[in-house]
Amino acid sequence: MKSPFSFRLVPGLLIVGLLAAGPLFAATPPTAPLTDGPLAAAFQERRQELIAAYLERTDPANLERGGLHDVAVNFAQGTNLAWARGRLRALTESPRGAMFWMYPMVLVMQAGRDNLAPEDWAVIREAWKTYFPYRGDTENHWLMYYASIYLAAEVWPDLPGSEWYNGKTSAENRAEAKAYLLESIRITTAYGRGEYDSPNYIDPFVSALTLLAVWCEDKELRHRAEMMLEIDLADFAVENIGGVYGGAHSRIYPKHTIQPALAASSALAWLLWGQGEMQLNGSALIVALSGYAPPTILQRIATDRSESYVHRELKRTRWRMRHAGPESIELAGHRTKEVYKYSYMTADYMVGSTQGGLLQPIQQQTWSLNWHEEKPLGIASTFFALHPYYSPLEGTMFFGAEWDTVVDLIARSKVDYNSPDKLMSGSPHEQVFQHESTVIGLYDIPAGTTFPHLNTFFSRDLVNRTEDPSGWIFAQGGTTYIAYRPFVAGEWRPTDWTGLLAGGAGAWISSGHHEWGTGHQVYVSESPTNGYIAQFAAEHEFESFAAFMAAVKALPLTFSLQPTVAVSFTTLAGTTLEGTYGQTPRINGEPIDYDAWPLYEGPFLKGVRGENVLELQHGQETRRLDFKSNQLTTSVSPTAR
Amino acid sequence: MKRFASLLATATLAVGLTAEPTSVLFTAAAFTKAQRNSSIPTDAGIFVRLPDDGWVPYGPKIQQVSSAAVDPADASRVFLACGNGIVRSTDGGDSWRLVTGWRESDVTALVIDPTDGQKVYASSGWGLLRSLDGGDSWTSIDDGLSERFSRTIVMDEANPARLLAGTAGGLFVTTDRGDWWHQVKGVPSAHVLRLRRGVDQPNTWLAVTEGQGAWLSTDDGNAWKLTAPEVASANLYACAIDPHDANHLAVGGWGVGVWTSTDGGASWQNRADGLPSPNVLTLTYDPHHPGRVWAASFEEGLVFSDNDGATWQDGGLDGSLTNDLGFLPLTVTPR
Repeated sequence: MKSPFSFRLVPGLLIVGLLAAGPLFAATPPTAPLTDGPLAAAFQERRQELIAAYLERTDPANLERGGLHDVAVNFAQGTNLAWARGRLRALTESPRGAMFWMYPMVLVMQAGRDNLAPEDWAVIREAWKTYFPYRGDTENHWLMYYASIYLAAEVWPDLPGSEWYNGKTSAENRAEAKAYLLESIRITTAYGRGEYDSPNYIDPFVSALTLLAVWCEDKELRHRAEMMLEIDLADFAVENIGGVYGGAHSRIYPKHTIQPALAASSALAWLLWGQGEMQLNGSALIVALSGYAPPTILQRIATDRSESYVHRELKRTRWRMRHAGPESIELAGHRTKEVYKYSYMTADYMVGSTQGGLLQPIQQQTWSLNWHEEKPLGIASTFFALHPYYSPLEGTMFFGAEWDTVVDLIARSKVDYNSPDKLMSGSPHEQVFQHESTVIGLYDIPAGTTFPHLNTFFSRDLVNRTEDPSGWIFAQGGTTYIAYRPFVAGEWRPTDWTGLLAGGAGAWISSGHHEWGTGHQVYVSESPTNGYIAQFAAEHEFESFAAFMAAVKALPLTFSLQPTVAVSFTTLAGTTLEGTYGQTPRINGEPIDYDAWPLYEGPFLKGVRGENVLELQHGQETRRLDFKSNQLTTSVSPTAR
Repeated sequence: MKRFASLLATATLAVGLTAEPTSVLFTAAAFTKAQRNSSIPTDAGIFVRLPDDGWVPYGPKIQQVSSAAVDPADASRVFLACGNGIVRSTDGGDSWRLVTGWRESDVTALVIDPTDGQKVYASSGWGLLRSLDGGDSWTSIDDGLSERFSRTIVMDEANPARLLAGTAGGLFVTTDRGDWWHQVKGVPSAHVLRLRRGVDQPNTWLAVTEGQGAWLSTDDGNAWKLTAPEVASANLYACAIDPHDANHLAVGGWGVGVWTSTDGGASWQNRADGLPSPNVLTLTYDPHHPGRVWAASFEEGLVFSDNDGATWQDGGLDGSLTNDLGFLPLTVTPR
């Protein structure tokens, strides 16, 4: 080790203190202070750059291509207006996509209003009168739906029901939408999102909230939406590693599991905080066109990794319709279950997890490591393991379809859902816990389960992959050392995910599948009882990769597979982690207190469950968002952290 | 909201369908077979079968529609059970209004009090609902239920305060218009997927479950016994009672096709031969053709039989997933 301290020889509490003091050589050394003026100016430059890129891709000679976002940016900028009018009509003639049509249409109406002719408005008006959009079946669908109908009903504030697709007057539509939106914000700021921390679905949340935060005329709703937007962005900022939304996710698509920087979150990280590279993305465009200016504290939080930290969050599962289980709780008239998120953030990597189990349908990522890359596009900068699971039980828990059709119908749009090679999955036979840079997974898979194996993803971008006779597998990604110890030896399988990528991400995945999906390997371990340890460290913490391997191999480790899987492991930091499948894990002998899990707890974001009050903090600056009183207060204290 | 001035609807006049309410075969369906790389069906809504054997869309085109109901006392009042909530017409389908708010969702079935059309009940994925003002406002009526998820609700028309609802936790009954629900003894605490009642013999009730068999009552829902034991372990999505003769029963489900009985459930015959698929989701007897039974399979279309299922004939709607199938006095008029 380069560090003069031997992690294994000092008491755990002291180690925590040392880690909190920060690494000796961070991968990204602290830069000059991020002050408001330059940050805001740089953000404005990126806004214009993104808008220009959208305009550049417009082909005014081609009336067959371009979505409503493209139409909106051209109306907003007063460019290619003939094309924009043509596409507007084409996309409004037979609308489809429900809320995915509604919210970019609102963007056209609001951002483009200065250049919309009366004939354009007539086309738009007719669509809102005749097209009956489905409200959808997820939290992001409902937010988009109600934000859109609210704003549309403000544009035409006094129309009778006969002028709206649903027969409700403008006032009735606004009242219903506002009631839902306020309730959604109340639940989220008290108990966490159900569709939490999705690198992809941050897009609709940011889109809908930005539209409300900027264009809503109702002051109360506008302010609450703006505060909610700030919290959603802060939620991403604190688990951001170089512009990538890392750790555990409620929903993630195959392409984002392999290349995390392809997600909408990274497009937003570039626009908002200057991380990574520019990507065209709808929510980023909405932010850019809206004129919304994010508070600069968010950029400081997103980019300050001068000290390593633990961040914990409380989330919840999507509402459970059936098979809610005895562990579920009642919230706002629905069954749900708490999700305990844990992330460990360093300058070199972040690793985050949830407790495992069926927390979300289809697309759950229970845990993952993301290592820092300055320009992460094109790099599979991630490491994770999962039990590939699917079942009608899971499908009917969250959706209204029948037991015998639900898997088939899900796989129509998510072709990887029932594949043994799938890259994301919740499993009812999985238990995961984490302490700082160590993740432990335990599995007890009943006989008859469709896939009784674990998949562990080894990126083609890893180097130094070493299978040690001890059973540990070592590798390095960027400046992050990885040690992985499967409890049951498996085999390496070269896997081509091209097909799953092509169909596993919905219709909007378009190209490059072979480029992303090949060259990686999966380690497949098959056993009814199984488990693993994943231990991570930064390169600068050790003299060499060999020293890292030697240190890990020397760590105390015992495990057993019968009668169920159980493990005891002492980490590089000297902390003893103990777990037995189905029982509460212990850290240095103390059971993890899930009942006391905070809504937010970390150096940058704090909140108490049920209180609807959240606090952002960086250095001496604090922003307190009180959703009960709908007040935002800022303060600068010389005595703050 | 004016809806669906479709060419198909216009064509209904050409084939002689009048504006008078008449009981027609309808289905609540989504066309999922051609759905690829998408979670959106290629078409969806209520579809009505015309006398010339064609099908036309009825009412608003909404992605998720599970069922429909017509006020027995006023055929101009039509209700649709939708994913978005409940959509109502009070003018025979000329205009429509979503009468529920954000709290109501994933509605699966509806019943209307024949003696007082202001009292309307609904089942949904999130519980049971009641309106006492003709659908203008709705409240939850879940007290007594062990599980809220419900696909099916049927009213005792002779005693409209009494309703039976199939839920994910079994069959429940209320005798006070939903103020309190009691679990029906004799039917397992399984997911009751469909519930039907006899017309000529209203003491006959038939309920089918997810993997726990078909259950028959011949004493107006008091005592229940397992019937169709041959398919007791199947997921049974469909059941029907012949309105002309309650001794004629049919059940259908996943992998078992259609089974029928002509002796009040004493014996059952496998009628899967000739079906386009063994996976049957909905069934109904035809009130206009005694002995005719309709069956809809998962994505392989509708069929009907005039010989108690011995042979089947094509009924159209290939590619559909039907949530409900039945007869309602729906008026199809050109707009």
